Amino acid sequence: MTTIALPARNEIRNNAATVLAFAAGMIALPFVFGNGYYLNTLVFVAILALPALGLSLLSGLSGQLAISHGAFFALGAYGSSILAVRLGIDPAISTILAQFIVAAIAAAIGAVVLRLRSHYLAIATLSFAIIVELLIEEWSSVTGGMQGMIGIPPYEIAGMSLTSDKAVYLVYWPITILMLWFALNLSVSRVGRALRAIREGEPIVDSLGIRAANYKIGVYVVSSVFAGLGGSLYAHFVGFVTPATGSLMFAIDIIMVLALGGFDRLWGALVGVALITLLNEYALGFADYKRIFLGVALIAVMLVFPRGLLPGIIDLVGSGLRKGGADARRA
Amino acid sequence: MLAARDLGKSFGGLTALHNVSFDVVKGQIKAVIGPNGAGKTTLFNLIAGTLRPSAGTITLDGKTISGLSASAIGASGIARTFQQPQVFRSLSVAENVMLGGHRFNKAGFIACGLGLSFTRREEEDLHATASKWLDFVGLAEFSSRTASELSLGQQRYVEIARAMATGAKVILMDEPAAGLDDTETRQLGDLVRQIRATGVTVLIIDHHMDFIMSIADSILVLNFGEWLAEGTPEEIVGSETVINAYLGSVEDA
Repeated sequence: MTTIALPARNEIRNNAATVLAFAAGMIALPFVFGNGYYLNTLVFVAILALPALGLSLLSGLSGQLAISHGAFFALGAYGSSILAVRLGIDPAISTILAQFIVAAIAAAIGAVVLRLRSHYLAIATLSFAIIVELLIEEWSSVTGGMQGMIGIPPYEIAGMSLTSDKAVYLVYWPITILMLWFALNLSVSRVGRALRAIREGEPIVDSLGIRAANYKIGVYVVSSVFAGLGGSLYAHFVGFVTPATGSLMFAIDIIMVLALGGFDRLWGALVGVALITLLNEYALGFADYKRIFLGVALIAVMLVFPRGLLPGIIDLVGSGLRKGGADARRA
Repeated sequence: MLAARDLGKSFGGLTALHNVSFDVVKGQIKAVIGPNGAGKTTLFNLIAGTLRPSAGTITLDGKTISGLSASAIGASGIARTFQQPQVFRSLSVAENVMLGGHRFNKAGFIACGLGLSFTRREEEDLHATASKWLDFVGLAEFSSRTASELSLGQQRYVEIARAMATGAKVILMDEPAAGLDDTETRQLGDLVRQIRATGVTVLIIDHHMDFIMSIADSILVLNFGEWLAEGTPEEIVGSETVINAYLGSVEDA
């Protein structure tokens, strides 16, 4: 019998190697460059990468966009904060509990919305995002209302509080990289294959005895937990949450990140988050005008590069190189 | 093994299928023929669970499958190929066939995300199964090609390999010879006989009478959504009702 190389196996190995190299680089960074404000910025990159990776997993595999990643970021942030502040639960445990809450809510939404074979996910999750935002603003006895919550405790590891940027950096980045590795593995696995197939023809997947709806719900739950985890990490780093944490605008920012880094590539999501965070931090000091600028940029990107800016540029450069190569051979 | 009793399907006021009963014997190739609009594809959609019958029941090995979801019917041992080949175009040929055997493996989101070693063993076994069926249909060399690169005829064979990989007891084939020339049709006939030789039952719709006559063990004739005749190819060819209703109309055309 003919034997054929099994791509998924090699891909998992390549993923592990690339991710390890990346992890080594990120962990070495503060020891090479020393402490500095840049570590604080990079902590935010690690945090914001989580909802972006989650959304990238969803859009890259199932081809759907959700507007609920801001809401789940908020649920992760508020959930863990409320458990830690009001009930005195250890932040690490409250973070894990908050993810179960996020997963349960995402599963409930998914079970209702994703059984329908259509593109209602974006609209249904938009309504959910609005509900969560209102709930956070109005349920002030628990959430602190418009004032938000302060005094959210940092994580503690072996009796040491994670308060310095460097300590947080050295804990958060490994977490984010582990989640990236998880997402990469998932996308080359049988689950990823089933989701890519569902994207092309859900009825055919069903006809093969596979419950397509369960996979769609599953990836939505996993994707939402990425956002929820980001929210929890955020709350225990900055120490306060307000209704602006994970607002609808935040959800749209995350979509913008994917428009930049590519809708179907996980590394692209990471690059997109890094670029947007750095732009915010160092270049775009013009506050409210920024949104107009980014909004127009988003529309332009979507028109020219529907798969995302970076993949579009890579394709352009790639075809340019191939063309150049062909010209060179002819010459 | 596969049996339909008093099967009916109407779309609003339009009756697509009315009071159709038949049996398919295990290990046989059974053909469903009839003029356009006779309800053949509707019958397949009812068996596969894409549509739910308005009346009647379908049983597989004595168990009622009508009314189950399409995925439950797929898992019960019925696979199909489509008039227009429905491969997953952006996936590789091997991946297409691996999806046929997908339901036998267990690894879920967490095991796959963690890359646990049993998930890799599962994948290797599944890949071996896929390779076996790609060999069976003669497409082994195309395994790592993207499915959309293959010709429509080849895509049809990918569908067949995928259906075999589901471990189906019955395969429904909707006009598999459409668009094939004589040589290709003969090759397809050989393949369908090979499928039967593995113990899988085949239910096949086609318009090529020569093709049907050469491979079918039994033929069911539908006309305007109703049972018209059933029997061996010889009986069908000799039946006056069939000649009047169907074969005659083809000659008129």
